[in-house]
Amino acid sequence: MSKRTRSPKQVVDPNEPAWKTTLRVSMPLNISYIPIGLACGILLHAAGFNTLLTGLVSILIFSGGAQFLIATMLTINSPLLSIVLMLFFLELRYALLSSSLSPYLRGKSTRFLFLFAVSLNDENYAVNYLKFATDKKWTPHDALHVEHYSLLFWTVSNLIGSLIGSAIKIDLGVVNFALTALFLYMIVMQLKNRITVLIALVAAFFAVVFMCWTKSTIGLVISTLVASFIGFLLESTLRKRLPESHWLWKLRTHAGEPSESDGNE
Amino acid sequence: MNAVNTWNSTQHFWLIILGFFVAFVPRFVPLMLFTKREIPEWFNEWMKFVPVSLFTALVVKDIFIDSKTYAFTMTGKLPEMIAAVIVIIVAYRTRSMAISVVAGLVAVFLLSLAFGGL
Repeated sequence: MSKRTRSPKQVVDPNEPAWKTTLRVSMPLNISYIPIGLACGILLHAAGFNTLLTGLVSILIFSGGAQFLIATMLTINSPLLSIVLMLFFLELRYALLSSSLSPYLRGKSTRFLFLFAVSLNDENYAVNYLKFATDKKWTPHDALHVEHYSLLFWTVSNLIGSLIGSAIKIDLGVVNFALTALFLYMIVMQLKNRITVLIALVAAFFAVVFMCWTKSTIGLVISTLVASFIGFLLESTLRKRLPESHWLWKLRTHAGEPSESDGNE
Repeated sequence: MNAVNTWNSTQHFWLIILGFFVAFVPRFVPLMLFTKREIPEWFNEWMKFVPVSLFTALVVKDIFIDSKTYAFTMTGKLPEMIAAVIVIIVAYRTRSMAISVVAGLVAVFLLSLAFGGL
């Protein structure tokens, strides 16, 4: 996998070594990991994690959302079981990501799939999925390289965050908002048709109801299962009965109605 | 928000190990299954709505739910609420995760100062 041809638009040395190609492809992602990794490291430090464990959690879990969630739930003193359950439901979405990448990884050894799964996450999935879909020369090994570069940048940023977290005093409420902003960003990226906007509102409603009722974060899990199942039922019913329904219309990708569905429940 | 957690490093370690397994299984099992066979359509259709539902619930928790009493609040976190609207607009316009997060942090920092100073 050393020789590859390039699309004519890109002005790149055709003899560029594979490690350089994958580094170049992963660089925008790596850069954007730096501020978020720093914030995550600071937050984990504030939640009581030492630097060694911050490095360990960055390598073993390698998920911004999950690590922010751990930090948040620790600061509100959630029980272990509750945190692990929340993590499970948070990470369940990876089943979708790895399902949709699997056509490109057919015939790979179990050892390779293991390595690939360990360092898969939302962002390197997005990079690799796009490359697999558009670049015929993109190999599973290239994809694994991208994963490892992003893992490296993420872990180092977390470690630095953890170290400077000991030196500076931060407003936890402010840094914690990095998590909220990250999730808001992900919601906006998820809004593809009108049903999704409706389901976001339904999920917001159930989240309030179930969290006030259970007085615990388990309400998040229940509301997620209920809202996503309603979305599934609604969409499949509409597809069958009213395939012309405007609820199935796609949202315009730019301008037009922005998705103000979540800020104002 | 000065609640400091009382867990020790051993407890943190076990949390990481358990967290690793719940993070790893959903990533690995579908890869093992579906590099060999097809994805069941209904499952895919259901799972499609999980991310948006979960992220919305998490945002609602951060903005509308009091972290200690789990009571619904419309006014308790005004800076976060306004910053959330800003993040949504920035995310929609830029489609960049880094810019959205940084914009949100700057917004909530400035708004907290502004509201704190009143």
